[in-house]
Amino acid sequence: MADEVSCLKARLLDKETELDVLKKKLAQYEKNEKPCIELIDKVTTLTPLESKPLSNEDIMRYSRQLLLPELGVRGQKNLSQSSVLVVGCGGLGCPLAQYLAAAGIGRLGLLDYDEVELSNLHRQVLHREESQGQAKALSAATAVNRLNSTVECIPYNLQLSSENALQLIQQYDIVADCSDNVPTRYLVNDACVISRKPLVSASALRMEGQLTVYNYRGGPCYRCLYPVPPPAETVTNCSDGGVLGVVPGIMGCLQALEVIKIASGQGSSCGQQLVMFDALDTRFRSIRLRPRQPECAVCGEKPSVTQLVDYEALCGSAATDKCRRLNLLSKDHRITVQEYKAVVDNASSHLLLDVRPPVEVDICRLPISLNIPLSSLQQGKGGHLQLLRESISQSKGQMSGDGPLPVYVICKQGNDSQKAVQLLEKMSTSELDEITVKDICGGLMAWSQKIDPEFPQY
Amino acid sequence: INTYYLVTVLYFAKSAELTGHRSEVVPLPAATSSCQLWALLLELHPSLAALQDQVVLAVRQQYVALGDQALLLADGDEVAVVPPLSGG
Ligand SMILES: [Zn+2]
Repeated sequence: MADEVSCLKARLLDKETELDVLKKKLAQYEKNEKPCIELIDKVTTLTPLESKPLSNEDIMRYSRQLLLPELGVRGQKNLSQSSVLVVGCGGLGCPLAQYLAAAGIGRLGLLDYDEVELSNLHRQVLHREESQGQAKALSAATAVNRLNSTVECIPYNLQLSSENALQLIQQYDIVADCSDNVPTRYLVNDACVISRKPLVSASALRMEGQLTVYNYRGGPCYRCLYPVPPPAETVTNCSDGGVLGVVPGIMGCLQALEVIKIASGQGSSCGQQLVMFDALDTRFRSIRLRPRQPECAVCGEKPSVTQLVDYEALCGSAATDKCRRLNLLSKDHRITVQEYKAVVDNASSHLLLDVRPPVEVDICRLPISLNIPLSSLQQGKGGHLQLLRESISQSKGQMSGDGPLPVYVICKQGNDSQKAVQLLEKMSTSELDEITVKDICGGLMAWSQKIDPEFPQY
Repeated sequence: INTYYLVTVLYFAKSAELTGHRSEVVPLPAATSSCQLWALLLELHPSLAALQDQVVLAVRQQYVALGDQALLLADGDEVAVVPPLSGG
């Protein structure tokens, strides 16, 4: 009997401890994951936004802007009944979404198909270190929800395309182009013209930004201004050209300003204006634009574009800001990083030519490389060509055999190195001693991935 | 008749990269049209040809379409060459 009692007591104690653990776990979950945000991977039909009077909490939250005669109660209610689609949750989309949510926009569609990476965090300020690998749309929606849980937030984890753009854009009042590539900019423009939505568009690169509201009150659309897409090879993106994080930050904030003015009913003054921000001189300039063009292919009087087309074909590039892989050389003019590793290991005489610009060489380099930027080769800069000739004859002097000197050309990802090989091939008979030139496929980033994990990636 | 005016040409985005200048002072004949202006800039900087049909040209912060109409230039006028930016 006594045995039975102590056994039951022990079992009860176990159960109580278990209960305690479960309760603590539950409390933890409830504290961390209050609202569960659902990531959407296709376009769904949204219910219309309801008109609601301002609650006491709303009045307190928005009091500092309700005091502005330019906004007031009417403007605030207009905001709460407006929906905005943010195309791209990157350097522009993050600050834009943040201010729209803070100001009390009714519904926020957040679209991005990318995942958060470490190299995004210097400018894409809604994402966090813990969000690496997470869908950007979800990461942005989570951050926005923490800021203002009364804003309806819809994260779309999908790529905007000719198939889904109209159905999506038709459901929103205002569209903000925060994308990072040319095909998406033409797609968003055409979809906005066809759906008759104002398009608040911003862009940023390096130390510059631009802002215009397209398709708004008789003003031009993107195609009125830029009828022909630029050739793909003339377009620089942020992963190639770089960008100071605060520059898209400033442009995204300006975008938020114009969206708020349109949504609240005040109206934007950027409908026929191209605002340019020069971050080097901290200067803004505004160019007065022409109105809508009657001969425009999409918004003109006799439009030739009446439905969405293939924008990647139109622009000759993919709808991404990731690097394109060029393929300019035949196989016998290229070697892999593994093959180059063998050249180094065998201590065979050769010259390693790094054609990246100095700013990238400062980040990291292979110790034995000679650095001559591609631009110097292209411009035929005398001093640099002299340096190249000297380096070649010096390396030739160290060679045991008689044959041509192998020159291996490297850059970041293996595009510029191919262009450099083509240039050197042309020079090798006339201006340079006899050499054989090959490019190292995939460049230093492939070297880091496949040969030396200690070598930094950027 | 052959009067020249000194205007400041501002290069933005890709055009600054291609020309190697952010701004320069260029003498222009008084009766230059926007087409002649672009041709002259191309002569100064042949690399700008890569941006043919891709730029917004502005004179005194006002858009000008490429055409034969004379721009009424004056000393100190600002001409801007603005290719689109697409990054974000
Ligand atoms: Zn148009």
